[in-house]
Amino acid sequence: MAPPSAPVAIFIGQPNCGKSTLFNALAGHKAQTSNFPGTTVKHTHSNVNIGGRLLQVIDLPGTYSLNPSDPAERVALTHLFLEKPDVIINVVDATLLGRSLELTLELIEMECPLVVALNMTDLAEKKGIKVDPHKLEALLGIPVIPTIATRGRGIQELLQAALKCLEADCRGAQPPWSGDVEDEIEKLIELLPQDFPCVANKRFTAIKMIESGHLFCNAFLEEINPSLKNSLDEVRSELERKRRLPVYEVIAAERHHLSQRIFEESSRVQRRTKAGWQERLDGLIMHPLLGYPIMLIVFLIFFLLIFKVGSPLETLLLKPFASLRAVLQAWLGSRLSFHLADGLLQGIGGGLAIVLPYYIPLLFLMALLEDIGYLARAGFLLDTFMHRIGLHGKSISPFILGFGCNVPAIVSTRILESRRDRVLTSLLIPFIPCSARTTVILALVAFYLGPYWALGFYAMNVLLVAALSRILSLFFKTPSPGLILEIPSLKIPRLKNIFMKVYFQLKSFVQFAWPLLIAGSLVLGLIQSWHWDKTINTVLSPLVVNVLGLPKELGVTLIFGFLRKELSLLMMLQALSVNYQDLLSVVTRDQIIVFTVFISFFIPCLSTFAILWKESGKKIAFLSAGLSISVAVIVSFLVRLVI
Amino acid sequence: MMSLLEAPRRVRLKVIDIAGGEGVRRRLFSLGFHKGDEIECRAQGILGGPVIIKHIHSGVTAAVGRGIARKILVEAVDGTP
Repeated sequence: MAPPSAPVAIFIGQPNCGKSTLFNALAGHKAQTSNFPGTTVKHTHSNVNIGGRLLQVIDLPGTYSLNPSDPAERVALTHLFLEKPDVIINVVDATLLGRSLELTLELIEMECPLVVALNMTDLAEKKGIKVDPHKLEALLGIPVIPTIATRGRGIQELLQAALKCLEADCRGAQPPWSGDVEDEIEKLIELLPQDFPCVANKRFTAIKMIESGHLFCNAFLEEINPSLKNSLDEVRSELERKRRLPVYEVIAAERHHLSQRIFEESSRVQRRTKAGWQERLDGLIMHPLLGYPIMLIVFLIFFLLIFKVGSPLETLLLKPFASLRAVLQAWLGSRLSFHLADGLLQGIGGGLAIVLPYYIPLLFLMALLEDIGYLARAGFLLDTFMHRIGLHGKSISPFILGFGCNVPAIVSTRILESRRDRVLTSLLIPFIPCSARTTVILALVAFYLGPYWALGFYAMNVLLVAALSRILSLFFKTPSPGLILEIPSLKIPRLKNIFMKVYFQLKSFVQFAWPLLIAGSLVLGLIQSWHWDKTINTVLSPLVVNVLGLPKELGVTLIFGFLRKELSLLMMLQALSVNYQDLLSVVTRDQIIVFTVFISFFIPCLSTFAILWKESGKKIAFLSAGLSISVAVIVSFLVRLVI
Repeated sequence: MMSLLEAPRRVRLKVIDIAGGEGVRRRLFSLGFHKGDEIECRAQGILGGPVIIKHIHSGVTAAVGRGIARKILVEAVDGTP
């Protein structure tokens, strides 16, 4: 931890401006990044050492303005005021300078030490936009540092500038707005009493009171200071009368015109008449008809590639563990020591030979699709279907994150504007096959029955989510607000960023999930050697044997699936005491499918349950658990009947 | 004047009005779509899917649902086919 005296720098910027990439480049990959608006929904802390000086840096969710419209943006705003930053680093997308400066202007209004990181200058130049940082600096009155986050350029200079800004106290000069608007703001500032609880400064407070109507403290102003409330209403209606526009639009237009002017004065734009490759490619992958087969092909390749890489590796890696196990069994018999050693072996070997061969290619391809920007486009294509199931395309983003891991997916529902959509999406996410479940599906269904069975499993899973959403949305009557989703431009992914992403996710798997797998296998070893498993299995046998038609021994493994889904897979082998290759000698192919179905749907795993509780409350968490258990029982029973 | 839903594709359009409520208007403003701006309708999803709009000057691309697209009133800018 940094000493409390270490100055605090906050990163703030509009969604997808490269803020997290920049933050990672200096803080060592802590924030999740992607070419998808709304990836950072929580704030991330980190400490950096710049030439012996410590700086606490905080990454905030992207926000278009300081007038939040969804909970993720509210997080940004709350922290902006809570953390009382010593300096703000405003990351600005040079390719969208005109729009990005609107936020910068709002930050300047706060009169806090401010530095601008002019990011993606390389992409801007490709687009024909050449920004003169010195001119921009002069116009804004604050330091402007050009950066290219993906290549780590300009980061040292940015930090130096931030430190310098701390000493020199650079607050920028607020360029004035149109005279008539300024007059009205001035009028309100004059009326603010000395002891008025101002945020940042009087002018900022007055502007926010004017533009945010019901959002700000105006609601209780009537009670504490009726005369001020009257004056505020007068100022608001005067502005509306003068401009014939709702007052929030008057203020928004002021910032808009000002930032356009600054953009035009500081940049040279050479319009490219020829459509770039991005445009042509976009026309193809977002084509209303062709887009769908292309999407199918993309996901098919995605899936088959993981399987084609994973399964030979798995077979190869499993061999030494199987022989080691045979040696152990011959040597130790079936004493406690064998059960423990076997548990340890299954935990380590299973993680290495069964989980990682699928997990690594999955992470790699996921990162690739994310960084290219394909996922937002899939969201557009799928929006139609999402409407039919009672949601809209913005929920696609949490869903797709859910294929990686359900936990960040549930956190990311904060980007949705309405509570209805958030709860509905959070309830559905636990049914999305996360990477852990994909591993189980690939290692069991694809390995034993063939990859097309696994694809069929996926198709069934998607249909199930759709049907569930349809049913659940009947209980949430309020209509969902319409979709407005920014589609970021296609980008050529950088291999280094992808490798870093895979590395950090793998690291967290090795640190948190793998120990859990090993510990779980050890506990099962103990339970087996004390013969407790028999009792548990007998208790569960009505469900396991009668409803699901599975061997009685699998009862205990189902319970452990609550900790982590792969654990059930590893424990299955341990409980049946077979080697992976010989699995079919003790269970049938149909039983493998039923087992996988049950494991996939039954109960959100422990971490998912915890995050559901935290994000949506106890009621939703238990509702989700109940829902998952019933769905798992019903669907696996049905599957058993059908096949 | 027509709603964005009736607008032809890949033609320069001028935003005449956004007839939605404060929430919708604010969200469109913050993405950089304003009254008087020139936009282009890039694609329309099938079966009631969203409309992709692109801001001519900034290049910002966004997907907007049908309900919202219906409220965006536009007219074709002369001089384009």
